[in-house]
Amino acid sequence: MPGALELSEDARGRLTELRALSEKAEAGDKEARKELRRLLRASSPEVIAEASHIARRAEWILVKTISAGKPLMQEALQERMHQMRAEIAGENPTPLEVLLTERVVAGWLLVEVLEGLIAAQYQRDVTAHRVAPTYVIQQSRIVESATRRYLAAIRELARVRKLQSGAPVQVNTQVNILRG
Amino acid sequence: MTLERRNGRLYYYRSVRDGEKVRKVYVGAGEVARICYETDMLRRTDRRAHQERERTELERLEGLVALVEEFSGAAKVLVIAHLVDAVYRKRKGEWRRARSA
Repeated sequence: MPGALELSEDARGRLTELRALSEKAEAGDKEARKELRRLLRASSPEVIAEASHIARRAEWILVKTISAGKPLMQEALQERMHQMRAEIAGENPTPLEVLLTERVVAGWLLVEVLEGLIAAQYQRDVTAHRVAPTYVIQQSRIVESATRRYLAAIRELARVRKLQSGAPVQVNTQVNILRG
Repeated sequence: MTLERRNGRLYYYRSVRDGEKVRKVYVGAGEVARICYETDMLRRTDRRAHQERERTELERLEGLVALVEEFSGAAKVLVIAHLVDAVYRKRKGEWRRARSA
């Protein structure tokens, strides 16, 4: 399934370089900080654009998976995501904010898709088979990890906003555990 | 599970784990042996098919997670690079503006 959804070799190389320079700069290497700034200005827009493109394609696959060929549900989900993007990104978002918004939206969608698939499977299987505890644990781990990443994505977007505005910000994340 | 034929007669034994050892437990002979053996085989096949379905389902879920992982990892690196560039430092898991900024 991934294949076409992978970053190019070039983008991966730049990210590896950025990661290494960030670590050095954080450790106090002034030359690395200069180089990091140069590399960020030079390659960040392209990498962000590529990653945003992949994000959109991943979201499209997730929408198709959960809507299971039902056009109305597909439309409804896309509209919901469109609204979420507009609400989260706000007016005149920077490219990094756009990417982080995509990450939040995709994270939300992923959690919804995983929960939806698992719920559907239980409705189908529980009466016919006994579900192995190890299987349930593995499923829970996958959902838990996706939820954690989704919340981390929200926090990171808030951090970037704080950085860009220079104002202090409080991050509140709400998790709805029970559904009506 | 073994279905043995001795002197033209069928004997069926189940393998039962007892701690580290595996014991052969006699189930029956003749027609009973054959019926018990076939029932056990059907159950085993069904259990394996069910395990296979569970494995496939988990792979499917992990595949969906992987879709988001790729660009999510890229976003993470970019955020850290921007934070470090803006003279932020990670202290006890929290990003704070460095004093030198």
